[in-house]
Amino acid sequence: MNGILHLARTQLVTALRERITLFWFLIFPVFLLALMGFIFTNVGKTQDLTFEVTIVNLDRGTRGGSFGASVVETFRELATSSAPGHPSLFRLHEPEAGNDPHGYLADEIAALRIGKRAAVIVIPEDFSESLYAAAAGPKSADAPATLVTVHTSGGRTSSEMALGVIEQVVARVDQEILAKLGLFDAARAVTVDQQLIGAESQTFAYIDFLVPGVVVMGFFVAGLFSVPGTILFGRESRVLRRYWVTPLSVPRFLVGFSLGHLALCGVQFACVWILGRFAFGAHVKLFQPLAIAYLVLAIVTFLAIGFLVAALARTPGAGMAIANIINMPLMFLGGLFFPTGAMPPALRAIMLTNPVTYIADGLRASVGVSPSAYGHAASIGVPLAWILGCAVVAAFRLKWDVGR
Amino acid sequence: MEETALRVTKLRKSYGEVHAVDGVSFAVPVGRVFTLLGPNGAGKTTTLEILEGIRDADEGEIEVLGRRVRRIDRATKERMGVLLQEGNFEPYLRVREVFSLFASFFRSARSPAEMLKAVALEDKAGAFVKTLSGGQKQRLAIGVALINDPELVFLDEPTTGLDPQARHNIWSIVSNLTASSKTVILTTHYMEEAESLAQKVCIMDHGKVIAEGTPRELTSGLGQDTIVEFVVPEDTEFPTAVTARCALVLGEGGLVSTKTSDLAPTLGCLLDWSRSSGVPLAEMAVRQPNLEDVFLSLTGRRLRS
Repeated sequence: MNGILHLARTQLVTALRERITLFWFLIFPVFLLALMGFIFTNVGKTQDLTFEVTIVNLDRGTRGGSFGASVVETFRELATSSAPGHPSLFRLHEPEAGNDPHGYLADEIAALRIGKRAAVIVIPEDFSESLYAAAAGPKSADAPATLVTVHTSGGRTSSEMALGVIEQVVARVDQEILAKLGLFDAARAVTVDQQLIGAESQTFAYIDFLVPGVVVMGFFVAGLFSVPGTILFGRESRVLRRYWVTPLSVPRFLVGFSLGHLALCGVQFACVWILGRFAFGAHVKLFQPLAIAYLVLAIVTFLAIGFLVAALARTPGAGMAIANIINMPLMFLGGLFFPTGAMPPALRAIMLTNPVTYIADGLRASVGVSPSAYGHAASIGVPLAWILGCAVVAAFRLKWDVGR
Repeated sequence: MEETALRVTKLRKSYGEVHAVDGVSFAVPVGRVFTLLGPNGAGKTTTLEILEGIRDADEGEIEVLGRRVRRIDRATKERMGVLLQEGNFEPYLRVREVFSLFASFFRSARSPAEMLKAVALEDKAGAFVKTLSGGQKQRLAIGVALINDPELVFLDEPTTGLDPQARHNIWSIVSNLTASSKTVILTTHYMEEAESLAQKVCIMDHGKVIAEGTPRELTSGLGQDTIVEFVVPEDTEFPTAVTARCALVLGEGGLVSTKTSDLAPTLGCLLDWSRSSGVPLAEMAVRQPNLEDVFLSLTGRRLRS
């Protein structure tokens, strides 16, 4: 036990003393959080995000009324209501009475292009007619929601985030319309209601979304780069060989190494959480059993992926190359920093097999930042499958000594 | 009869078609320095790595500290100390921390303070490993090898790459080990190191033991001959008159050596030729045979060629 604890301490202190490790595992996550926090939050005033959204209602309506007006009304409610101390989710822009809505729409699209708007929602002229037609005919109950057009600016973060929120708002309006048309589905209504971002506080606090993402990113980078770095460098430079000529066994080394890695992640977590909490006022409650379970699951999953990389690479250089190849898709298609909206099928396939996606989703759901898109069974099961797969490959392929 | 610390019988290790260790057998008495001597690639390090538990032998028997073992187990490692030929420490650990770490792997170990004093690194106790000189790193490595106060110590080329001062420091530490009845297995390709430290020498070449005995026993096998060495330009050709009287062996860099039982006529012949040909006999030396000469006489090659 003594040897295991000494190894854990060695793993931790050497990581904290090495500048490169220190930068990537501590300074970088903290810097990233600070940078994104400053960009997307207004420090000292509010920690919430307000989307600049335009809505243009072109709906002619029918004798039965205008459903377009219902949609507009819902967005108006969101634009004026907010929890105490928080700004509203949208700042809504609409054409004034008497203005040409088409001309106004053109101006707002131009505003969207230069970043002054996050999204422009257009309710088409035949919106109500289509809905009544859908109610009368055999079409699917889901059809009306597709009639609303949302213009976003490609690649702009605020647009992508706004789109995610708008889709959920529209889904809620859709539910209300379906009820009016007699196609109300109670089970579906409940689901839609739960998927509204910021359901807990009725506001979208980006810093609360961001902090768990940066924490998971830190664990991911630490596992992906630190583990193969330590194992492959230790193997190549014969640091590990020094251990193998003592009574220290590989299993005891693994326990000590993993404990040290856990401690490193603990330090990393503390730094990110303290910055998020005290500099940006994050309220995300990470100190609760389910959240802690997700954090430990994240550390173990990424530790396992690190061992997989170490098992696949022959040299430290090859290990870093493999880690870099894995890093990009898994980190940026894992929903760590922004909600993952509609994606091309190929990217969606990566996203849906990516353990980061499930861990980030489960962690955020566990702290009430956003509802789970996949459910806790998948959010825990997929990472566990990764752990198992990585462990099996590492057990058969990982060499602990040169030429052994 | 002397007690045996280590006995190896018909040890074999192959990598494909290459027989790195090919039927090696030897016995090491308790409390002695036993040296495996041979050129690079002779099989010394592979033999040692098997005995240290890093590799498994393909065949052969190992009896270590009174126990016959198939491979070196944890109980045996508790009683062994190993200095690896190639081995590093975490560069960002302090010297004192290295001793603490390795002490923690053993059931019983000496204190870091004791080891710092033993290898004269007290003033470097707080220094990071990466800041140590080559000699200091090697002293640290020897200290780590001795942290568990082992009965059997393996030192694999402990002075390779060190300057003369650092080398003599290491020799002093090894000499102190035998004074405290430790058994030391040493590999080296420096014949002067083997002669200075070893009580028993085993010469290896191409994975086999080609000679074994005390340094005196091995060199006395060459008779009472004296060795004459000198350096000439590499393209020098000696006339038959000289080669007929002196059995010259030409080495790298123009080094020429000859073995003689009758020194005066040999020297006279060489000096006459030098005078008449105008070729100087640079760095001329006359000495008694050493282990290098034993290796040369057994293989026709020099140890460091």
